[in-house]
Amino acid sequence: MSNYHMFRSRNIFLLCNVLFLTLLAMTMIVPFLNVLAVSFSTDLESYENTIKLFPKTLSLSGYVNLFRRVAILTPLLNNTFVTVIGTLSHVLLCSMAGFVLIRSSFPGKSFVVLLVTIPMMIPFQMIIIPVYVTMKKIGLIDTLWSLILIDIVSTFSIFLMKNYFEGIPRSLEESAIIEGANEWIVFSKVYLPLAKPGIATIAIFQFVSRWNHFLPAVLFINSTKKYTLQIALKSLVVSSELTSTTQSVANNARMAGIVVSVIPLLIVYIFAQRYFTTGIMVGSVKE
Amino acid sequence: MILPTLLYFILFSIFPLADGIKMSFQDFRFVGASSFVGIKNYQKMFTTPGFWNVFGNTLILGLSNVVLTAFVPMVIALSLNEVVHLPLKRGFQSILYLPHILSWVVVGGIWTFILAPGGLVNNIGAIFGKESVYFLAISSYARGLFIGINLWKQAGYVCILYLAAIAGINPAVYEAALIDGANGFQRAWFITVPELVNTLKVVLLLNVMGALRIFDQVYVLRNEVIAEKVDVLMYYVYTHGLEKFNIGYASAVSIFIFSVTFVITLLVRKVSKYHV
Repeated sequence: MSNYHMFRSRNIFLLCNVLFLTLLAMTMIVPFLNVLAVSFSTDLESYENTIKLFPKTLSLSGYVNLFRRVAILTPLLNNTFVTVIGTLSHVLLCSMAGFVLIRSSFPGKSFVVLLVTIPMMIPFQMIIIPVYVTMKKIGLIDTLWSLILIDIVSTFSIFLMKNYFEGIPRSLEESAIIEGANEWIVFSKVYLPLAKPGIATIAIFQFVSRWNHFLPAVLFINSTKKYTLQIALKSLVVSSELTSTTQSVANNARMAGIVVSVIPLLIVYIFAQRYFTTGIMVGSVKE
Repeated sequence: MILPTLLYFILFSIFPLADGIKMSFQDFRFVGASSFVGIKNYQKMFTTPGFWNVFGNTLILGLSNVVLTAFVPMVIALSLNEVVHLPLKRGFQSILYLPHILSWVVVGGIWTFILAPGGLVNNIGAIFGKESVYFLAISSYARGLFIGINLWKQAGYVCILYLAAIAGINPAVYEAALIDGANGFQRAWFITVPELVNTLKVVLLLNVMGALRIFDQVYVLRNEVIAEKVDVLMYYVYTHGLEKFNIGYASAVSIFIFSVTFVITLLVRKVSKYHV
């Protein structure tokens, strides 16, 4: 094959390749645009049978109804509460545990490591029944605290923090101790500030996972007042489809629900993209 | 400082597993004494036709998910790797990853909406003269759609693992191949793909560990019309345990899933170690 031909077939390949990826990306973008367009349409136009990628008449009616009629504010606030408190406690407790694990030796260390490692092999889904029974016994069923408690520590985060702490020179700790710092001061003033990328990584993963928490909420929450976003959203966007004959909530409000619940995730994703990649890598290497 | 962690793990992970095993041999009651019934719960499990149906569904959905979400993202990663324009590559990557951070409720909501009559997919079909159908209420489509939607959600995430592995390949190898006259396909097939085998193993292992515990997707997307094709083990556990409160029986099914996953995971580990 002449150079010219090789050059040409290479270019045709590259073009096809980009076309293929564009097509894939379209399967992600077009549904989102559709959802967004419907959410900003008027009640009536949100039912139109057209390929809607932009609203014909811009209307906030869907969002107004979402807060007025669907009363999404309570689930939204519940979700925020559970996510924020849960993430903060998760970061603190996992950092503390990781800090303990970098000590070269203490009585019972191998037992402690075992206790921290085993839960990785016991997925939450497989123990939902006994966990439900335990939650019931300690009286946390139908409280938001049950959702905060679940996943308050994880093996993944503990080991990630431990790895970050291990990279911090011991000399910093020693000089702090000479100046009279105790364990807690060493942890909070020396180690934590130097492990910011680790903290950011686990905080972001926790934020996303808690914002999206579904199974624990399905299991532990009964009363409407305690609903988190995902449960409220589920009855709003999916279950009404087949079961009910009359649609009580218009399409624009239903899609507005999706948009509102996705916005916090998008913000985190856009501003913290690099932490997603590090987190994924650490997670898979560990296996 | 590690005490809260240990307490949580014991109370909400290790103890529940032991408790679950115990309950699987009991006729469990919340109030009053639970009596031991031996292997009755397990016997009931293996003799209930409904159980075998959901077990079959779980295997079909699980196996398809394991294979597809391991190999399709590899193809996408190879394809992304050929994009020379860096910002474009980054853009594609970010967009493809996006569905992974969304909850199953959101993903389910989007797909239910665009697959409904009058939804996006039907409207596109109408251009080609297709009649409007309710895709998610046709039982012969159900599994395919479930598998496809799962792939749509997870592909970008797995893709990142492959891309990281590709980034770790020594560029000198490619230069040598280029001098030897290897074309693009040859370079991808003979250099890149073999370097991805280790990542592939990790991905397969991760997929296998998650395969039998799919729940969220099914809970969100199922309906009575397609239930027979898509109801899975975890959904079965949920309905029997926490809707009908057959705690003992549901525990037995949980323990069964746990054991099967454990054995398969060990097998996959063994096989992938010896057959490099």
